[in-house]
Amino acid sequence: MNIKLVHILELLILNTSVFLYCLFLSLSTALLFRSSSLIRPLAVQKKDRDCPYLISAKIHATPSNYAGSGSKAASLHWTGERILSIALLGLAPVAFCYPGPAVDYSLAAALTVHGHWGLGQIVTDYVHGDFKIKMANAGLFLLSTVTFAGLCYFNYHDVGICKAVALLWSK
Amino acid sequence: TLLTTVARQGQCLSRSQFGVLYRHAVPMGTTANEEMNKFWAKNTRLNRPVSPHISIYKWSIPMLMSISHRGTGVALSSGISAFALAALVLPESYPYYLDLIHSMTFGPQFLAFSKFALAFPVAYHTFNGIRHLAWDLGKGFKIPEVYRSGYIVVALTVLTSISLAAM
Repeated sequence: MNIKLVHILELLILNTSVFLYCLFLSLSTALLFRSSSLIRPLAVQKKDRDCPYLISAKIHATPSNYAGSGSKAASLHWTGERILSIALLGLAPVAFCYPGPAVDYSLAAALTVHGHWGLGQIVTDYVHGDFKIKMANAGLFLLSTVTFAGLCYFNYHDVGICKAVALLWSK
Repeated sequence: TLLTTVARQGQCLSRSQFGVLYRHAVPMGTTANEEMNKFWAKNTRLNRPVSPHISIYKWSIPMLMSISHRGTGVALSSGISAFALAALVLPESYPYYLDLIHSMTFGPQFLAFSKFALAFPVAYHTFNGIRHLAWDLGKGFKIPEVYRSGYIVVALTVLTSISLAAM
């Protein structure tokens, strides 16, 4: 009984305080930025032509909601990343049991793309600004290209990735 | 209970219990990406200081393991790229350089340690990667589960690295 009363009291206090706070916000906003809107809420101001209401909650609607041309690119990229990770995981025991050129080139491709996508996420997280993002991604693309070229060169002209690891561990 | 009450109040607000205040949701013309860029552009232009965040927040095992996953990923990727670059640039073949390193006779402990040092980031990134894939399937998000899987990853990493170093 006691606890229920306390809950009800909490609710009341919270309710009133939230309402008063929202009221304060709307009043102060109206007073500071759109002083006439409180006096004449039905009047449509030039910059409020799109939202003639006192307060509108601005939201980001996902493109597929209001535009017909939604893109699944980001979602597919995410799925691709996971599939590649699983493929790379499966490649490890295969490389151990069946070393050879097929596995060597598969490893070269899988490792390069996995690293490229991983570093790409780091760029997305820490690099800001259109130009800087473009430059960072260009540099990353260059690095991944050189990496793949180097690994393929090694597979073709040298002992290959599987043999290289085996040799490294033999001593 | 105060927290759940607050959460419930938040839900009520969005359902326009205070109808006059949130009657309309207006979709913005800009994308979230554009808004983010605008935020960074404005704040770097105004040269605003950033509030302390990672310098003051208490470190936890999940935090440490997360950044270690990223750290080992960067390290391994750099190693692979360096190896690939060396393959393109260096004149001699791989066995030649391997024999060169072995001729320097560092001692068995050093060799075992370097094998451990190579195996450790590979093992950690692999096992924690599996942990990430489990999360992607929606499994293991409860806090005790997060810690338990984390400890398992660390244990497996140490065991695997030692076994590989002994080979």
